[in-house]
Amino acid sequence: MRILLILLGKDFANLRRNRAALVLTFVVPMIIIYIVGLVFGLGRTDSGPTGIPFAVVNESDNPAALKLVAALQAEKSFFVITQFVNPDKTTRPLTEADLRPMIRDRRFSYALVIPPDVLSDTRLGLRLKILADPRNDIEDQIVNGILQKTIFSNVPQLLGQSLQARAKKFLGAAGVDTFNRAIVRDVVATFGGNPDQILADMQKGNFGFDRLTQRLAPAPGGQAGSAGPDIFSRIMQIDREQVVGKDVKSPAATRIVGGYAVMFLLFALSNSAAAFFDEKNSGVFQRLLSSPVSRAQLLWSRFLYGVLFGLGQLMALFYAGHLLYGVDIFGHLGNLLIVCASVAAACTGFGMLLAAITRSAQAASSLATLLVITMSACGGAWFPVSLMPQFMQHIARYTLVYWSIEGFSAVLWAGESFVQLLPILGILLGTTAVVMSIAVWRFNRSAIFE
Amino acid sequence: MLLIQDVIKRYGALTALNKVSLQVEAGEFFGLLGPNGAGKSTLMSLVSGLRAPDAGTITLDGQALNTADAAGRLALGLVPQHIALYQELSPDQNLRIFGQLYGLRGSLLHERVEEALVAVQLTDRRKDQVKHFSGGMQRRLNLAAALLHRPKLLLCDEPTVGVDPQSRNAIFEYLERLNRAGLTIIYSTHYMEEATRLCSRIGVIDHGEILAHGTLDELLTRLPFEDEIRFPANPETAGLAAQLPAHGELATLDGTHRFRPRADYRLSTFFLLAESLGLPARLFTSQRPTLEALFLHLTGRNIRE
Repeated sequence: MRILLILLGKDFANLRRNRAALVLTFVVPMIIIYIVGLVFGLGRTDSGPTGIPFAVVNESDNPAALKLVAALQAEKSFFVITQFVNPDKTTRPLTEADLRPMIRDRRFSYALVIPPDVLSDTRLGLRLKILADPRNDIEDQIVNGILQKTIFSNVPQLLGQSLQARAKKFLGAAGVDTFNRAIVRDVVATFGGNPDQILADMQKGNFGFDRLTQRLAPAPGGQAGSAGPDIFSRIMQIDREQVVGKDVKSPAATRIVGGYAVMFLLFALSNSAAAFFDEKNSGVFQRLLSSPVSRAQLLWSRFLYGVLFGLGQLMALFYAGHLLYGVDIFGHLGNLLIVCASVAAACTGFGMLLAAITRSAQAASSLATLLVITMSACGGAWFPVSLMPQFMQHIARYTLVYWSIEGFSAVLWAGESFVQLLPILGILLGTTAVVMSIAVWRFNRSAIFE
Repeated sequence: MLLIQDVIKRYGALTALNKVSLQVEAGEFFGLLGPNGAGKSTLMSLVSGLRAPDAGTITLDGQALNTADAAGRLALGLVPQHIALYQELSPDQNLRIFGQLYGLRGSLLHERVEEALVAVQLTDRRKDQVKHFSGGMQRRLNLAAALLHRPKLLLCDEPTVGVDPQSRNAIFEYLERLNRAGLTIIYSTHYMEEATRLCSRIGVIDHGEILAHGTLDELLTRLPFEDEIRFPANPETAGLAAQLPAHGELATLDGTHRFRPRADYRLSTFFLLAESLGLPARLFTSQRPTLEALFLHLTGRNIRE
């Protein structure tokens, strides 16, 4: 027993000394649990996503349309944008013409247009228009579901007005008034009630459909009651226009391949950076630096290796995505190569920074695991960023993974030109420059070359 | 050839080298002898340009050696203390990489790689991964990689650590051949026997200072005695041992008394004293002084401590 206790004590002493093991055992899983929990709404007072940018253009003067806009603004899942901000910071109401370029500029991915003819006496029901950039399949489903729910909850009055308008077209205004009064008389005689109030409700189109549609309203995931979709489609004409990515065969694959590719690239390059310490400990650095090789050449050769390695890995994985899911890489090969090279450069810089700020291969490796997994989870490699709470969405913008996925989407989903890619390339290459500067500075101050 | 003048190197509060000055002439086999932590590797790293001294100068044939002068390092070959090879690659690949870094190309590179493989007896294993080699084979290859470009000065930083006697001997023979062919070698070690066997001149270093340097004979003449008498340290010899400090140095190591008589103390007097104490002659052995004795004399401690 004593021997067992001694051996047990030895194992715990080793574990206590091994920071890498401790980080992987406790810290990394806790972070993953926290992030995944947030995505699935655990520990949040609200449920579902919050703050998805959503533009609304109301071209109708119908009071019920205003009510719909207000309902969308009250919906936590959406951050409703109704104003266009001019360069001089003044604002004006958004117009439909503003929407397409703004969607292409990724200011928002979804917009609702309530047209002047939201109600018409030539058809039954409503007409709305949605403009979308459904680059993110999961987000797309969620936005559609929430939108349907919001409209269903607020549409009955519009639907009633639609019926009134159609009746006026067929019966004439006087005929409809006579018809309404006859109905009010019968209702009061049969069920009781205030005839003036009932008449006013009927003239406003308030037929009590809200109680019906509440039962039929679809859930946020897009699923409705059994009769919901049919009724919805009969009373609601929604013209959907996909602004970006019309020709993309597999939108989900574009995001999944890009997200996981960059995560594994970060792992590979972090390991490669940790190999710095192996070369130092083996004396290879000593041998190299005693030859006509400078420290700068050693560092930049490692950087170039990382970029080429990363480029090769990313392209191989996208080619696999092409073979497996039809991701169109050949239609955008030039820009894809440029984005992949930029991503590889940023990831290599990240790996070298890790090697520069740590003191051993083990420390570099454990820190890499912690950061890569955290960045991947926060940055959208596993789940769309838009499903996370807003503070996480802000954090995501400080990760390489996020901007890498943005770059891949811009090429493979939006088919953007080189000029349009420049902001993302600037962020990736700017990050590379910053982290490499810090890494080189740290390398020159550290003892890794001695 | 190599001139080291008043070199100081500090690591924080620790002074690793304190005003070290040395001169190594062309064709010499110079040994740098000292215990672990004496400053040997630091001095090697300064000469090879891996580190810069805090003060002092190091010149090779009149040209200053420094960390920024990559081209100046063409004249140097370094055999690091560790096996500084790419373990996943073959000897052939390792030698080609290191040869190319020194500017060798084409047929010259091929020729030098072949020569090196023959010299270190690895021709038949040239395509195998280095990681599968024995320690001795790796050490031989480690040495060969430093010689491809035919340096003027070869720096060997404890190149036989962990090597079996047979491989060690092969390395010694190879180094001796190179030195006979004119190569200047600086060889750091904490093994007395290596310095004794190989080196034409030896510098004794401890705590970052060169305590003495010269040929083996020159160094040994610094000892105040010519012979060393050894006898067991036990109660039987305690009476004799008690009387000896008055006539020379007495040290005890590993259960053995080591008596180094002063030059004016005659050995016949010693043996007469032993006989008078009833100690038989078979207890005593007499030896010429060694580097170990010199180190003990210079530092007051054994080199292995």
